[in-house]
Amino acid sequence: MSYDVTIERCGLMALFDLKGAPDAVSKWAGDALPSLPYRPNSRTEKDSIELFYIGRDHWITRAPLAQENAMEARLMPTDCPADISIVRVSDTMTFFRIVGPDAGQVMSIACPMDLHDSVFGTDAVSYTEVFGLKALVMRCQDGIEFAVEQSFADMVEDYLIRATA
Amino acid sequence: MAQSNRRAAGGRIDRNRPVRFTFNGKSFEGFEGDTLASALLANGVRVTARSFKYHRPRGIMGHGPEEPATLVELDGEDASGNCPVTTVPLRDGLSARSVNCWPSPDFDLGGINQLFARFIPAGFYYKTFKWPNWHLFEPSIRKAAGLAAAPSAPPAQGHFEARNAHADVLIAGAGPAGLQAALDAGRAGKRVFLADEGTEAGGSLLSRNLTVGGRAAMDWVADTVAELSKMENVIHLQNATVWAYREHNLMIVNERAPDQNSILERSWRVRADEVVIATGATERALVFGDNDRPGVMLASSVQAYVNRWGVTPGKHAVLFTNNNSVYEVAVDMIAAGIAVEAILDSRNEVPQAALDLVSGVTVHTGTVIGGVRGRKSVRGVRAVPKTGGSGVWIDCELLACSGGWSPTVHLWSQSRSTLRFDDDLAAFCPDQPKQACRAVGAAAGNLTLDQIIEGGEDLSYGIEPMWRVDVSGQRGKAFLDVQNDVAVSDVHLALREGYDNVEHVKRYTTGGMGIDQGKTGNINIIGTVAMQKGLPLQEVGTTTFRSPYTPVSFGAIGGLRENWGLFPYRHTPVTQWNKDNGAVMYEAGARWRRPGYFPKAGEGLQEAVNRECQAVRTGVGVYDGSPLGTFELKGRDVPRFLDFIYSNIMSSLKPGDGRYGLMLSEDGLILDDGVAFRLDENRWLISTSTGHADAVNQHMEKLLQTEFPDWQVMITTVTSQWNNATICGPKAREVLQAVGSDIDLAPEAFPFMSFREGTVAGFPARVVRVSFTGELSYEVNVAPRHMAALWDKVMEVGAPFGILPVGSESSHVLRVEKGFLSLGHEVDGTVDAYDLGMGWAMSNKKPDYLGKRSVELRRSGGGTRRELVGILADDPNRQIPEGAPLTPGGRKEATDGLVTACVWSVVHNRWVGLALLEDGHARQGETAHVRLKDDVIPVTVTKPVFHDPEGKLLRS
Repeated sequence: MSYDVTIERCGLMALFDLKGAPDAVSKWAGDALPSLPYRPNSRTEKDSIELFYIGRDHWITRAPLAQENAMEARLMPTDCPADISIVRVSDTMTFFRIVGPDAGQVMSIACPMDLHDSVFGTDAVSYTEVFGLKALVMRCQDGIEFAVEQSFADMVEDYLIRATA
Repeated sequence: MAQSNRRAAGGRIDRNRPVRFTFNGKSFEGFEGDTLASALLANGVRVTARSFKYHRPRGIMGHGPEEPATLVELDGEDASGNCPVTTVPLRDGLSARSVNCWPSPDFDLGGINQLFARFIPAGFYYKTFKWPNWHLFEPSIRKAAGLAAAPSAPPAQGHFEARNAHADVLIAGAGPAGLQAALDAGRAGKRVFLADEGTEAGGSLLSRNLTVGGRAAMDWVADTVAELSKMENVIHLQNATVWAYREHNLMIVNERAPDQNSILERSWRVRADEVVIATGATERALVFGDNDRPGVMLASSVQAYVNRWGVTPGKHAVLFTNNNSVYEVAVDMIAAGIAVEAILDSRNEVPQAALDLVSGVTVHTGTVIGGVRGRKSVRGVRAVPKTGGSGVWIDCELLACSGGWSPTVHLWSQSRSTLRFDDDLAAFCPDQPKQACRAVGAAAGNLTLDQIIEGGEDLSYGIEPMWRVDVSGQRGKAFLDVQNDVAVSDVHLALREGYDNVEHVKRYTTGGMGIDQGKTGNINIIGTVAMQKGLPLQEVGTTTFRSPYTPVSFGAIGGLRENWGLFPYRHTPVTQWNKDNGAVMYEAGARWRRPGYFPKAGEGLQEAVNRECQAVRTGVGVYDGSPLGTFELKGRDVPRFLDFIYSNIMSSLKPGDGRYGLMLSEDGLILDDGVAFRLDENRWLISTSTGHADAVNQHMEKLLQTEFPDWQVMITTVTSQWNNATICGPKAREVLQAVGSDIDLAPEAFPFMSFREGTVAGFPARVVRVSFTGELSYEVNVAPRHMAALWDKVMEVGAPFGILPVGSESSHVLRVEKGFLSLGHEVDGTVDAYDLGMGWAMSNKKPDYLGKRSVELRRSGGGTRRELVGILADDPNRQIPEGAPLTPGGRKEATDGLVTACVWSVVHNRWVGLALLEDGHARQGETAHVRLKDDVIPVTVTKPVFHDPEGKLLRS
């Protein structure tokens, strides 16, 4: 491997897509979620549950897969009011973790966004491109984590293998 | 003698590391640190190429990317075409060949062109080879005048890489000005990206013996590079050319030798807040008769070979100039043992400081070159007063010329920043920036070291421009663009023929095109045009500088995107199963790869498709329908939103029910088709075609954000949250029952176009009764994590029923038999729902929906429409090519339709087709004619349904 990195194709995680007015979403979710991140391209976290700012009135929450059913029970996607939308999307995204001293270099091959720590901080999260695909990118311990639409995951894995060959 | 022109000492080469290489099949030796050019000169190779059009003998003229005369083709693992010989680093085992010659540059059969030179001036191709067709002659002309071919095989090992970077400051060029800029920015803590095309930092200082504050200038370079290397905020690349300046300060850099062995070349896309252009200046050629002979070189290049590579390109030399810079060159040449026979200076007066440098050398002021002796090598030059006269011949084998210096403004100009002509420098210089950039050093017109860095010591410039030698009695072609064989006479011809704009002159003559992009000659072309038209150069202007500044490998631009990675590709959990079971995989839209068909051993496409279709029509089949676009919509306004985007009514659906619908575009044409299901009061599920899923998503979001921002509709893409196995055929219900489900599958409990949630094979599932085949069909949707297991279960329990996997080829046959439309076939961007016989999908009850007005307007105008029909050839075994035109009587007339599909029907055991035919609905029963190139096929026009026209089977 020409770069000093470890690449992990992560297993499924519990993901829910949330849309609606912040007050309405907060009220419905109660303490099931961390506080809503109001700043664009940021995230909040409580215990093992993260909440990503995706766009105006739009968030994605993530938790370990083991909590999927519990979260669904608390968020009640099918019962939520008409003015908010909660959809389980756990299977729609595949996460990759690139960690190690050269993680930044590998990400510079994959992603056009400036991921320098002076620009893209620890609480940063943003949709951008990875290998030309729409991807959700964020920092993780010792590296970068990103998610792509799961049907592209094989391709992204092929690209990462090729990039680090 | 090996390396007969190598100096005994000196140069930035490693004499302890000899390197062997071959050139045109002959073996030579050089040293580590040489370029191919310096090694060839060291070995006394004079004729290194033949010219593009006239096949004149050519040698090496430059020492960097400006080299106009010698391009080489590299073989073996370096395989690459058209490399300037001066930019090829020497390495052991390198094998190179000249281009534009056969069998060799010394004896080239193409040299016969020189006999006809006067008959083949600029533009002769276009005037001569017009009849009967240019393309008849083009291949042989290109072959005769062609450059090297692209490599025929990919690199044996390694790969290219493209990466992104961001910087506060990008600095192009690590000469004195660039290094100083990098030092300043780096010390200020800025993120600096410094890239330089040379293998070493220093730029012109590498070739010159200058001082900074009394120390050797290269010591200053070494100190600066060392300081930069300690800065974590600085990226410093050598052998990396900034070759393109794009919008928003996006710079493209080609790094030719990254430090990872597995990477052949690396392309950087750098976004910088500020760009500093420190690209130096390029020496110009001088224009006189036979100024292209081997042995005629740029003076600065002679200096570079002498000082940097320890090579003496000749023993006896004459220098020809219009500025002071060659006097310093002469000093270095003399020090290297070259006999400087004379300096010919076109200026009437030469500064004493310059003359003092070369005391003892004959300097002819007000003198130009009136002729050159020698064909394959310079043997002498005729020095004549510029006011005219017979002059004197001076013997020499090396002619070092300097026509002055042009700031290298390519990147500056690519940024769309403006240029101004500076009369003092006789050069185009940077003027007003159009992006966040600035030029420094020689690129900004500061041509001497004392103007660039504090303590720098240099001779003044002192140019008197001379765009071409203009004395009587000159013989031989005077070349403005050596690479493209463009002479002064060609520019004069262009002007005489009315091509008097400098851009037109460029295109007429090809001057300034090619690999070198006219780096040494463009200014002389502009000057020649100015002289001929009596205009100042500012008014003539420059041509557009385009990227790339120097040649770049396509591989470096593509990066990882080659072979399998050229386009994105998507998979489903069943993709591997499909491959393992022999599927021929197709691109199926939106980058999905789906099985086309599943041939058994020895089976062809048609046999496999017939077998799969037979299974669906008489038994059961299953296909992976996961790629269909799927969206969940939530909100109080979803019903009226769906009523707006679909042409029929959706709001009346009850929870659990669904309806097929058409989406129209604003112009009333069909955008997509699909089904909509109501999950509950406020939640909906809609599906789209695979290929249009993204477009429909954008369409909906655009409407919501621009037309209906106050409507409460929230869209979530769930294409990849729900994969589906679609079980279809008369035995579909039995198979699904065998798979196991808690959903009541009885027809009356679960009718056609309805939706149920439950479990299938123990997995949470959404089951939908829709049909794209015309048969009883269940679309079983489960989460992708369960899809592979579901699929295996279906295949396992379906085996006793004879279940077969079905590919997209069979899906196509089945839908044609049923007369179902397909986007891209029947829906071709011209038809509306009425044309397709789907007027029932156009609601008369809704006051409005998207596209309604356009359809009504178009149809109220009358006129003939192409309408969907079925077609049956008289010969049932006659296949009709899809896309074939229908014409009246099969005559060669304007078409009145086209064949949209033709398949072998397993129901009718014959070929059946669909077509769009003018007034087709009224012509059923008539005979139409498909016109082929060599044949006419009579066809009977029918209804566009060949199977179960009442739809009893799919509702069963």
